[in-house]
Amino acid sequence: MQKGKFWKTESGLAFFFLLPACVFLLLFMFYPIVYVILMSFFKVNKLGDLVSFSGLANFRFMFDRPEFWQIIVRSCVWTASAVAVKTGIGLVIALLLNVDFRGRKVARSLVIIPWASSVPISAMIWQWTYNNDFGLLNHTLRTLRIFGEPPIWLAEPRPAFFANLWVDIWCGIPFMALVFLAGLQAIPQELYEAAEVDGATPFAKFRFVTLPLLSSVLTVATLLSILWTFNDFNVIYVLTGGGPGTSTDILITYIYKYAFQYLRFGPAAAMAVITFVILLTVSILYARSYFKGGGVY
Amino acid sequence: MPGATSKEGGCTEMRRRNLYFVYPLIVFILLVLLFPFFVMVSTALKPLEEVYATPPHWIPRTIRWANFSDIWVKYPMGAYFKNSFIVALGATLVNMAFCIPAAYAVARLRFRSKSFIMYLILVVQMFSPIIVVISLFKIIARLGLLNTLLSLILTNSVFTLTFSIWLLGGYFRNVPKEIEEAALIDGCTRLQAIVRVLLPVAMPGVVTTIIYTFITAWNEFMFALTFIQSMDKRPLTLGLYNFIGRWTVQWQYLMAAALLALLPVVILFFFIERELVHGLAGGAVKG
Repeated sequence: MQKGKFWKTESGLAFFFLLPACVFLLLFMFYPIVYVILMSFFKVNKLGDLVSFSGLANFRFMFDRPEFWQIIVRSCVWTASAVAVKTGIGLVIALLLNVDFRGRKVARSLVIIPWASSVPISAMIWQWTYNNDFGLLNHTLRTLRIFGEPPIWLAEPRPAFFANLWVDIWCGIPFMALVFLAGLQAIPQELYEAAEVDGATPFAKFRFVTLPLLSSVLTVATLLSILWTFNDFNVIYVLTGGGPGTSTDILITYIYKYAFQYLRFGPAAAMAVITFVILLTVSILYARSYFKGGGVY
Repeated sequence: MPGATSKEGGCTEMRRRNLYFVYPLIVFILLVLLFPFFVMVSTALKPLEEVYATPPHWIPRTIRWANFSDIWVKYPMGAYFKNSFIVALGATLVNMAFCIPAAYAVARLRFRSKSFIMYLILVVQMFSPIIVVISLFKIIARLGLLNTLLSLILTNSVFTLTFSIWLLGGYFRNVPKEIEEAALIDGCTRLQAIVRVLLPVAMPGVVTTIIYTFITAWNEFMFALTFIQSMDKRPLTLGLYNFIGRWTVQWQYLMAAALLALLPVVILFFFIERELVHGLAGGAVKG
């Protein structure tokens, strides 16, 4: 009796409708997360089986390696610099596309293409573009005399890092530009007219009308960009595989390397847990600002 | 939203002055952004001698269309395309089967802790697959699904599910409730009302969600890299990646294959880019 009633209520129906999706997510997303957390506290053999409880040994193993700390620092530098550049260039493009000019729609469509393209395949195209002898990038740089002798991009640690960084930035620019453009177009025109009446300079209009009204979009987009950049596995894996050595690895590629090349699942799981905590924190910040910005639901 | 600034031009003189720096800047930015695609097309059309010419030519002196037919013979491109298509289609079907009822629930029904669930969905959507790929590998192995396309279908549909629910739920919410209620009064069951009334009206949203899932699964690389070993099971991204791991990379073939792999999804992407931006950035950009 009680049960029959439950299915007829709205929450009963909702439960019924949400159940399949929830079970699916529990099995293939939440259970793996729990399993990884478990792995991080266990000694794990090369097949990925739990052998014995080892407390914080996996974490201590990573913390004792100077390389790990280098990679933590590199991941932070990677994320901070890429997000800053994407935000800057994205904003410039958005401001340009917000000007009414002939061909603006075409320009907008063309700007989207790097985002529309598949990241691993883009990275393969870039790998060829970066080729020192036959690639068109260095040839162009030489011809335009921007670089007398441009670096062999993917062969040495520092240029390789910048080469990776640029491809990540390149992939991320269109989204930033489009979000900012949508944000700009949501600003009521009257505000600019009012500012003009008050005799505001273009810079003052930008500083006191555009920026404040764009701030919620800026926050959401930046947080998203932080998450994506921090998680960018494809670019680094395809371009340099984290090499030479581990000189271009960031946390995400390093985890993969530890797990599937070195077959050290325990330490890899420990790093995955650390990454999980970092991502969870940023995700919560993102969700908060999403809802604060008037997001749905 | 459309043409918000086009009405601004009170002062045409100033606008014309603006254009003097807008055009050069936009052209410069587009040249930089599209440079690798130019490289791709140029290389895809070059004969082998020209691919390895120093200094390299920007534009091929002789155009070799045969690159586009050679790749089907010299590499298992047909299998790669087929696998990518099976994975993307399979992931889309599985995804939609779970997504439509869930999106309906969060959009239409009132239930306890709904806001918490929505919050959770938004947070989970940002998790990197790398966090779980270690344990997922174990799980997939235990299920006996290593080196099967089914493993990719499952993982891709799981990792697109939360955003799909989010996207489709938004569409369902925008369909007036009265349309469905009218159908219910006319004697439809709830299920009939959803299938015959709500879904057709929300069709643009359904299509958007389908395209989103399809593209994401089509472009996926890391799961394929981890779960697939044999050549004939590789999807395009992994297949193309394995062009590189050889002694001599035939770049003209890789670029021709890349062009063919990119074309369908880039075109599809244009149908959904606005919805993606709005879905990801929320109310702040709803004009």
